[in-house]
Amino acid sequence: MMRLGRNGPIVLLTGLILLVAVAMPALSGTSLEVSRYLANAIGQLAAFAVLAISLDLIWGYLGILSLGHGLFFAIGGYVFAMYLLKHSFVVTGTVPDFLQFMGWKDFPFYWAGFDFFPYAFTVAVLVTLLVSGIFGYVSFRSRVGGVYFAIITQALVYVAMLLMFRNDTGFGGNNGMTGFSVLFGWQMGTSGMITALAAGSLAVLALVLMLCRWLVGSRFGALMLATRDDEIRLQTLGYETLRLKLIVWCLSAVIAMVAGMLYVPQVGIINPRVLSPELSLEIAVWVAIGGRGHLVGAVIGALLVNAVKFWLSSAAPDIWPFILSGLIVLVVLVFPNGLMDLAKFRLTRPMGPKRMAEEIGEARP
Amino acid sequence: MSLTALLVDGLTVRFGSFRAIDDLSLAIDYGEVRAVIGPNGAGKTTLLDVISGITRPKQGRVLFDGALDLTQTSEAAIARAGLRRKFQKPSVFEGLTVRQHIAIGADFGFRSRLDTPALDDRICEVLETVGLTEHVTRLAGELSHGQKQWLEIGMVIASDPSVLMLDEPVAGLTDEETERTAKLVRALVRHDRAIIVVEHDMDFVERIADRVTVLHEGRTLFEGSMDKVRADAAVVDVYLGR
Amino acid sequence: MKLARLTAAAGLLAVLLFAPGLRADTLDRAGLVQELCGDAGAMGRAGTALVATAASGSAEDRAFAAPLARAVIDRKLGCDDAGAVLDEGGLDAITRMPRAAAGTPRSPLLSLKNRPVFELADAAFALRGAPAVAQRAAALKTLERRPAQIPEGLLDTAAAAESDAGLKEQIDTLAQTAALNASDPAARIRAIGRVAENPSRRALTRIAALESDPAYAANPEFRAAVDAATARIERGIALGDTLATLYNGLSFASILFMAAIGLAIIFGLMGVINLAQGELIMIGAYVTWLVQQGLRVAAPALLDWYLVLAIPVAFLATAAIGIALEALLLRHLYKRPLMSLLATWAVSLFLVNIVRVVFGTQNMQFETPFYVSGGVPVIGDFIFTWNRMFAIAFAIVTLALTWGVVRKTPLGLNIRAVTQNRDMAACIGIPTRRIDMMAFGFGSGLAGLAGLALSPIYSVNPQMGQNFIIDSFMVVVLGGVGTIAGTVLAALGIGQINVLIEPLWGAVAAKVIVLLMIIAFLQWRPEGLFAVKGRRK
Repeated sequence: MMRLGRNGPIVLLTGLILLVAVAMPALSGTSLEVSRYLANAIGQLAAFAVLAISLDLIWGYLGILSLGHGLFFAIGGYVFAMYLLKHSFVVTGTVPDFLQFMGWKDFPFYWAGFDFFPYAFTVAVLVTLLVSGIFGYVSFRSRVGGVYFAIITQALVYVAMLLMFRNDTGFGGNNGMTGFSVLFGWQMGTSGMITALAAGSLAVLALVLMLCRWLVGSRFGALMLATRDDEIRLQTLGYETLRLKLIVWCLSAVIAMVAGMLYVPQVGIINPRVLSPELSLEIAVWVAIGGRGHLVGAVIGALLVNAVKFWLSSAAPDIWPFILSGLIVLVVLVFPNGLMDLAKFRLTRPMGPKRMAEEIGEARP
Repeated sequence: MSLTALLVDGLTVRFGSFRAIDDLSLAIDYGEVRAVIGPNGAGKTTLLDVISGITRPKQGRVLFDGALDLTQTSEAAIARAGLRRKFQKPSVFEGLTVRQHIAIGADFGFRSRLDTPALDDRICEVLETVGLTEHVTRLAGELSHGQKQWLEIGMVIASDPSVLMLDEPVAGLTDEETERTAKLVRALVRHDRAIIVVEHDMDFVERIADRVTVLHEGRTLFEGSMDKVRADAAVVDVYLGR
Repeated sequence: MKLARLTAAAGLLAVLLFAPGLRADTLDRAGLVQELCGDAGAMGRAGTALVATAASGSAEDRAFAAPLARAVIDRKLGCDDAGAVLDEGGLDAITRMPRAAAGTPRSPLLSLKNRPVFELADAAFALRGAPAVAQRAAALKTLERRPAQIPEGLLDTAAAAESDAGLKEQIDTLAQTAALNASDPAARIRAIGRVAENPSRRALTRIAALESDPAYAANPEFRAAVDAATARIERGIALGDTLATLYNGLSFASILFMAAIGLAIIFGLMGVINLAQGELIMIGAYVTWLVQQGLRVAAPALLDWYLVLAIPVAFLATAAIGIALEALLLRHLYKRPLMSLLATWAVSLFLVNIVRVVFGTQNMQFETPFYVSGGVPVIGDFIFTWNRMFAIAFAIVTLALTWGVVRKTPLGLNIRAVTQNRDMAACIGIPTRRIDMMAFGFGSGLAGLAGLALSPIYSVNPQMGQNFIIDSFMVVVLGGVGTIAGTVLAALGIGQINVLIEPLWGAVAAKVIVLLMIIAFLQWRPEGLFAVKGRRK
């Protein structure tokens, strides 16, 4: 359980993140320069860590598991890709591949204005709030929760994937969008740009981490935990938990959207596969491995799992799914609080007959 | 302020084909401690569920203070109107400290309305009343069963409710803890507050209740003082089982 | 040339008119041979007789006459003093007894006018009597060149006797074309009526083509017949399309039901949604494939029955996986449903990848036994296909089985008891853990059966589970917790809505709309169709 007074690990982690963010550009040109590959990997990991925080906020602190957070990640990613393509087109005149592929002469009308980043960002926030707000409102209002909510969010992201796989939507279809060349007027793909993107992502990560830390440490955060532990109890104390859940849900969606915006310029492509239910489930796995209800845990979980995945996807791509499934089983059976259990050296026994008897004993006082 | 805190009028609650409450009417006045007793399945907890807005009845209404129909009001709004309830199973927030519980109970809304010194005073006062002062920084999940019961009582009395509902407040408590709880309940009696207690422990009921309502199969079987309850043949038949 | 064709056509027409009369008599064999050796006029009469024989002669007569037509075309009929010999002095043309030619045989030469008649007769014989499909197909090609001259009845009898489905269809098509292009207006109108009896898009095209026929403008009766036929066919097509949609929806719903019923039982019992359910379906299909391969080696004679023989194997194999899953994993996640969601996903990931490593990613090849191949054309373009019927029948059996198990067996009684109140069930001595395990095994086994039932319809590969799992979840959400009736209704509803919307706005829109409808539905009934209400414990 979260102790609200303990700030040590989170300060340490934030400091470390900021240190790397400063060190990477500072070291460029020296003999200790971070390679382009590593810098890019660090930047992507930071984006995933932000995504993990967004899920931990609602799962760990509110007890609502979303298996569709890839949807909000994708909204950020797609909008940022639209900005990049439109911006690249304005600066260099490059016509995006998908327009040529569809044989379209011009951008669809809803692409208008996307070369202006503040507009694109506003659209991303509004779309995210609209989707998460409507979906959250109807779900929470009808008291859909737990496993029901999880599988409906999964269906949501799956349907969104099917939608984006269509070529006639004007968002690149199954090939997605790629070929970004200019970002904020600067050439993409240079060492400086890669380092800057990575450092920027780390800075955003640190910011999001501190924001969430402040939130969960506040009175509002206490109410989040109270909602997680016993929602009806809190309602019968006079609190409108629907509003609370909706606020946190929408905030979480916006953070996931920001993660998507960080991710896309660093991988240089977005396609409907970010909407596959697998990715959304994987986010939950990062958080579970790191430890639900701990912001530090979520960040470390995302960093560790993805670092291993990066390494294995080049070394031995076929065994990654097996390792991932093994990790999940290990976490759910042996370390129910993820790495946080490991940190406390408190191994929980799998439920043998003895512990089972204890639990049944507890259930019948 | 009317004299009647709660007026239950022609209430019917059905779960499928089962009538948990069947055309029930009763009135509870300010200043009294009313015990609601009855065998399992008599509809006691369901009655509290309707009053606190968790269950919506099929028919009938429940008027608070002669004006507010609780069957048309959300749980949170009912609580804000001044009706608080302790649940049958101790319902506390495992991840929060004792102090946070009382603070949440004393106030509502996402931003604190009480200024901090006033809130601190209130928390100290309540913790003293329920005897948890020394556990103020502990997590609720670490408390014993009896302590959780009191913590929940503390949480619901922190806001000075007009109607206090206690669902089996002494279930699973030791005799000494029961004794303390009985004293606590009597200490909570005020002329502008109604207290409803659902309990199986007859001795406890006898000690705290001003009047007793016996429910059976969703209807009122008997209403009166505990002495008369013990003497009533029908009650003895269905409930006291002698 | 044109004149010759006209005369031949007139001759044929005469034969057609007299054909019913000829049918009653047996063929005058000696007379026929004599005419074959006669002058052009006699040969013409012989040719029409041959055509008539091919169309409506008895089997013996056709066997007798067929070599004659061929022999005349190939100039291998030797006319001599004693009549004629076949094959340059092998057999007597009439008796088919071996004999030497008497004197110098003369091979009669077909006139330009008679040649098409004999070729027609030869093709007609071949169509009805040739042993190889290729020969019959070639004969049909010959006939197609002169649709107007084909004797009435020939194609119908040939089609009735035809064993090859593709060729049979071609013959039917030709028969209709022949009749529609007949010269007698009354025959054409009759033919139009017959075409309209079996409405389909093809029939509509044929009839529509007649609107540009000169007769359409000239002959009001013809015009009325065409218009009536068009209307009738259009109605038939609409009806057929509706039925086909319902039928496809029903078969999709059957698969959904089988995939979801296990999920629903387990969810009701343990509050766990098994994300590996789709993969259990996939395993069921792969086990079916393995049974097929096993039979191929061990008992090829039984190969056709692999779908039936695989039923117990698929059920037991997936049930065993389910039991292992429950005993090793989910049992330890009691009261942590969200964690068990992740755990079952890990299992799903593992199963997909292990199958991918062992079998590869390609679609598995399945034999199509006779009982799931083809179908019965009903109306319009609706074909009552046996593979879908197999799935539907299978789902009905599964439903009956599940109902029987849940309602009539001690296991079912215990499952219902634990679903309603686990603690109370444990108190009265029901071994809840064992019940969990058995129910999980049962639910998983049903998923395996779903995999078996869909293998004749859908492609089988490691990814296939994904295609059904989300829809199955929606069935559970819609149907409510652990109720068979709810699952059936929800599966039917989702299955039908999917196929109803698909032709209008596409498969993706169907999924979007189904999801939106479910979310809207949950506003009205948050616990699903058949919720059991109760108070807070």
